Amino acid sequence: MTKRIIRDIPLNRVEGDLEIRVELENNRVVDAWSSGTMYRGFENILVGRGALDGLVITPRVCGICSTTHLMAAAKALDHIAGVDLPDNAVRLRNVTLMAEHCQSDVRQSVLMFLPDFTAAIYAAHPLYAEAVKRYAPLAGERCIDVVRQTKTLLEIVAILGGQWPHSSFMVPGGVSYVPPLAELNQCRHILKQFRSWYEKSVLGCSLERWQAVQSAADLDVWLNESAAQRDSDVGFFLRFAREAGLHALGQGHGHFLSYGSLELPGDSAVVGSGAGKQLVGSGFAAKDGQAQPFDQAQVAEHVAASWYADYEGGKHPFEGETVPHATGADGKKYSWCKAPRYAGLPAETGPLAERIVAGDPLFCDLLRRDGANLVIRQLARLTRPATLLDAMETWLAEMAARPDQSYYEPVASLQDGRGFGLIEAARGALGHWVEIRGGKIARYQIVTPTAWNGSPRDHAGVRGPWEEALIGTPIADIDNPVEAGHVVRSFDPCLVCSVHVVGADRTPLRC
Amino acid sequence: MAATAIICLGNRYVADDDVGCRVFDCLIGSAIPQGIEIFDGGLCGLDLLRLVEGRRRVVFVDALAGVADAGDIVVLNREQVAGYAGRYGHGAGLPYLLRLLPQVCAAPLPEIALVGAEGAMDEPAVRALAERSMEVAIHGAS
Repeated sequence: MTKRIIRDIPLNRVEGDLEIRVELENNRVVDAWSSGTMYRGFENILVGRGALDGLVITPRVCGICSTTHLMAAAKALDHIAGVDLPDNAVRLRNVTLMAEHCQSDVRQSVLMFLPDFTAAIYAAHPLYAEAVKRYAPLAGERCIDVVRQTKTLLEIVAILGGQWPHSSFMVPGGVSYVPPLAELNQCRHILKQFRSWYEKSVLGCSLERWQAVQSAADLDVWLNESAAQRDSDVGFFLRFAREAGLHALGQGHGHFLSYGSLELPGDSAVVGSGAGKQLVGSGFAAKDGQAQPFDQAQVAEHVAASWYADYEGGKHPFEGETVPHATGADGKKYSWCKAPRYAGLPAETGPLAERIVAGDPLFCDLLRRDGANLVIRQLARLTRPATLLDAMETWLAEMAARPDQSYYEPVASLQDGRGFGLIEAARGALGHWVEIRGGKIARYQIVTPTAWNGSPRDHAGVRGPWEEALIGTPIADIDNPVEAGHVVRSFDPCLVCSVHVVGADRTPLRC
Repeated sequence: MAATAIICLGNRYVADDDVGCRVFDCLIGSAIPQGIEIFDGGLCGLDLLRLVEGRRRVVFVDALAGVADAGDIVVLNREQVAGYAGRYGHGAGLPYLLRLLPQVCAAPLPEIALVGAEGAMDEPAVRALAERSMEVAIHGAS
C-alpha cells in the first residue's frame, strides 16, 4: 500500500541554518523543500557606505571563504575602475584564493562528508570498521591527520596578504602588499609540504598519475593499481561508495554553471582549460554536458518562494532588491535564500560543474556513464586540489623570479559606476554586483554558491538543485536520514559560518 | 611570538556575536603588557590552531548562548568549552578546536581559558569583560 508522509528531516548536522522538508512515498523522497532559516542582510549593511567598504565587510560574510569574498569584492571594484591588474597582482590574488580552496576541499571531504560513512546504517558494510577507524567524528585517524596537515595552508594567505584572518589586502588595481623573496620561498615550502602529503594520503599517487586518469575505465584501472591508491582517501571513498550503491543518489537537474575563475597572467607558463583566459573556465552546460559560453546578463534571482518582497519573475543582480518580507501568510515562501537562475534555469555549481564545463574527460565520461550523482560530485571536490597545485607552484616561482614587477596599478577614486566580480568559490559560483553613486555604495548584491545549489523554488515553481537531487532518495530511517545527508552534503552547503557564538545546545554553534 | 595571546572572536556585523570584537577594540586601544599579544580572531574556529601552538597561555573572548545568566561574565576552561563540540561543519567554532587540541597541537598544550559573556553588553560591560580577559591573561584563570 502506498504510504505518503511529509516530514521535516533532521539535517541540522549538515548545516544548522538549513532545514529540509521532504514528502516520502514508501520511504522514498518524492518532493523536497530546502529552507535557509537565517536572514543575514549583509547587502543592506553595505548600502550607503564608502565605495571600498565591501573589501572589509564582505570577508566576514563567511568564516571559511573569507578570501573568496574579498576576491569577488575587489574584482567588482576593478571592473568599475576599468583597471588591468599587473601580472604579479593576478598571481598573488590567485594563489591565496587557491590555498583557501585546497584547505576547504580536503576538510569538507574528510571532516564533513566521509564521517557519514560511520553511521549505524552502514554497520553491515564490509568497510564499516575501517570507515570508523578513519573517519569517526572527532576521533578518526584521517580526521586528525587532515587537521594537522591543512593548518599551514592559510599561512600562505597570511604571508602574501600581510594580514589574517579576514584580510583586506586586495584593492582595486591589485594588492596592498609586496611579498619579499623570503616570504615567497616560505609559501613555496608550505605548498611543497602540502602537495607531498596530499599525493601520499589523499590521492595515494603523484599528481601526474592522477591527471592521467581520463575516463571511467581509467578510474577502474587506477583503483586497482596499487594498495596506496586503494587505501588513499580517494580510493577508500570510491570503494565504500560503490559497495553502498551511492552512484544512484543525488542526480539533480543536470545543469552545470561555472562563472570561471583565476585569470591567467599575461606572461606565465600556466595555461587554462579551453581557449579562455582563466585557469577555471566559465560556461553553462545542460544534460548533454556541452558547455555554452557564460553571459552574466543571464543571471537572475527569483523571490517567489523566498521571504522577500515580491516581484514578477527574476531580477538581474544589478536590479536586485533585498527587502525582507516574512509574513508566512501565503504559504508559498519558505526560505531566506533567493532562487538564482541562469537563462531561467536552476543550475548546480561547484567543483563538478567546473569539471563538466571545462570538458574534463574523466568527469564528462563519468557523467555520460552514470549521470550526475553524489559520488562524482564529491570526487570532483576531493580531487580539485590536483587541478590547482601545479599552477600555484608555478605562480609562486614566477613572482619570486620577477621581484621588480609591480603588484599595483594606481586607480582613481571610485565615484560612480557599476561592476561585477565573478569567481569560483570553494563551493562554486560567487558573484558580487556593485553600484557606486557619489562615492557611496548604492546597491550591493551577493549571489553565493549555496544560493544557487540550495535555492528554493523559483517563479515557475521549479525546485532548486539539491531539492531536485533529493527526489528519489530512499530513506531507511526518517529519524536518521543519512542518505539525504549524503545528497545535500555533496553540494557542500554553507549557511551558518558568519556567526560562531559558543552555545550550549551542542548543535552547530550559533545563536 | 608572545607567550600569552588574547584571541577575540565574533562577527562585528552581527549584533548577537560582536562582543569579542568590541573587547578587541577596547584592548587594542589600551596599554598592553609585555608578553601578551591581542588578536581579532574573527569567525575562525579550527584555523586558530596556529595562533595557539607554542604559547604558554591563550585566553579566548567570545559571546555565549545558553551557558550562563544574561549579563554574566564567565570563565571556562578548555575541557568545559570542548564539551560543547559537535561534529565538524561550517558552523564549527572554538569548541571543536579545543576538543581536538590535545590531538593536533604541535607543541605542549597551553593553558586555555574562555572568558565569555552572555546576552547584550553595554559599553561598561564590554570594558569589564576586557579587564577580566586581561586579568586572566596575566594571572591565569584560577
